[in-house]
Amino acid sequence: MKRWLAAGAVTGWLIVPAGAARADHDMAMSGHQHADAPAVSIGVAVQAAEFETMSYVGSYQSIAPTVAWMHGWFGANATLGLYHLDENGRGTYGMGDAMLGAHAAVIRRGEAEAGVALHVMLPTGSEVDNLGMGHVMVMPALWGAWQGGRLGASASAGYARALTSLDGAHHDHGPTPLVDPMNLQELTWSVAADVEVGHHVRLGGRAQGGVPIGDGRTRVISGGRVAWGMARVSTAFELQVGLAGDPFTVRGVLETALRF
Amino acid sequence: MRLVVLGFGVMLGVLGACSDSATPTPTGAVCPDPDPMTLTWGSFGEQFMTTYCTACHSTELSHSMRNGAPLYHDYDTLAGVLKIPDHIDEEAGAGPAAVNTRMPPSRCPSMPGGKIDRDCPEPTEAERTELAVWVACEQQRAGK
Repeated sequence: MKRWLAAGAVTGWLIVPAGAARADHDMAMSGHQHADAPAVSIGVAVQAAEFETMSYVGSYQSIAPTVAWMHGWFGANATLGLYHLDENGRGTYGMGDAMLGAHAAVIRRGEAEAGVALHVMLPTGSEVDNLGMGHVMVMPALWGAWQGGRLGASASAGYARALTSLDGAHHDHGPTPLVDPMNLQELTWSVAADVEVGHHVRLGGRAQGGVPIGDGRTRVISGGRVAWGMARVSTAFELQVGLAGDPFTVRGVLETALRF
Repeated sequence: MRLVVLGFGVMLGVLGACSDSATPTPTGAVCPDPDPMTLTWGSFGEQFMTTYCTACHSTELSHSMRNGAPLYHDYDTLAGVLKIPDHIDEEAGAGPAAVNTRMPPSRCPSMPGGKIDRDCPEPTEAERTELAVWVACEQQRAGK
C-alpha cells in the first residue's frame, strides 16, 4: 500500500482532472501499484482557476469524474470534465474534452520503473465556447518513477499532436481552449517529487509544460501538493500557478478516489 | 471489472455530443476593380456593425461587459475593423469560398454590455456577402 500511495502522490494518478490529464497525460493514472489482481478506481476532481490571456479574462470551475483500471503492468483510464466557464463576462456550462488513456510499465528495477503511455483526447468540448481543442489529440509518452523510502520522484516526456491540418492556424486569440490550452503540436514534459511526512500524508511539488513544435506558446505550470491516502481512499489538493504561456494565473485542484 | 467497463461505457456514451464543427474559413471575397465605393464605413460598415456586433464588440465595453467577446476585437470604428479584417471575414462573411456563420452567436444582449436576453439578429446571406466585399475593399483602400 505504501508503494501504491507513494507512486500515486508522485505521479498524480489519484484522480486527474481533464486539464491535469492533458498537461500531465503521460504520467497520469500510471498506477504503479504492482497489483497482480485487477483493480478499479473511481473518483472525482474539482478545480477552480482564474485566467488572464491576451483576449480573455475570467475563471472556470469544473468537476471531473474518472474511472481507471489497473492490472499488473498495465492500466487504462477515462476522464471527462464538466465546466462552468466565465470569459469576459459570459458564463458557459459544458463538457470539456474527454481523455482516454492506456499505459504500461516496461522496466522495473528495484525501486525504479519506467514505461510508455498513450492518451487520446476526444473533442467533446465546444471549441467555439473555449471548452475544447476542436480536434482529436494523440499523445504518446515515456515515463519513469523512483521510490526510495520516504522520497519519490518521477519524470515524463511526450509528444502531442492534433489530428488536423497544422496549416489552418487562424486569428490568434491566445491560448486555446481556455480551460486547458495546448498547442496543435508540442513536446510535453513533467517532473515531480514528494516526501512522506507521516500519518499517511505526502507533500510534494511538480512542474509540467509543453513546448510547441512550430507555431504556438511554451507553457509551464508549477504546483505544490499535499496528499493523504489509505488502502481504499486517497485525497489530494494541489495549488498550481501558470508560469508561462497563460494556461491560468492560479488553479486549485481537489481530488479523491476510491479503489475496489 | 464490471464497474470499470460500465464507467468507460458511460464516458464513451457521452462522446456523441461533439463540439461545433464550424471552422473559420476565408470567403475569397474580392473588392471589384475599380472599387465602386458603394460599400463604405458610412454607407454599410457602421450600420452593419451596430446592428450585429457592437453590443459586445465595442471599445466602450470592459471585459466583464463583453459577454464573451475577446478583448481588442472592437468594431465600433473603422480602425478597429481594420485591425482584424480577416478575422471578421472568417467569422461572419460570405463569399465564393465559404459562408461563415459563427458570428453573431445565437443569443445577444438587448443593450450594449447588458445581460444576454434575446436571440441575436441574424444577417442575411446577402448581407454577409456585402460584409466580405466591404472588408476586402476597406483593406484595399488602406493599402493592406
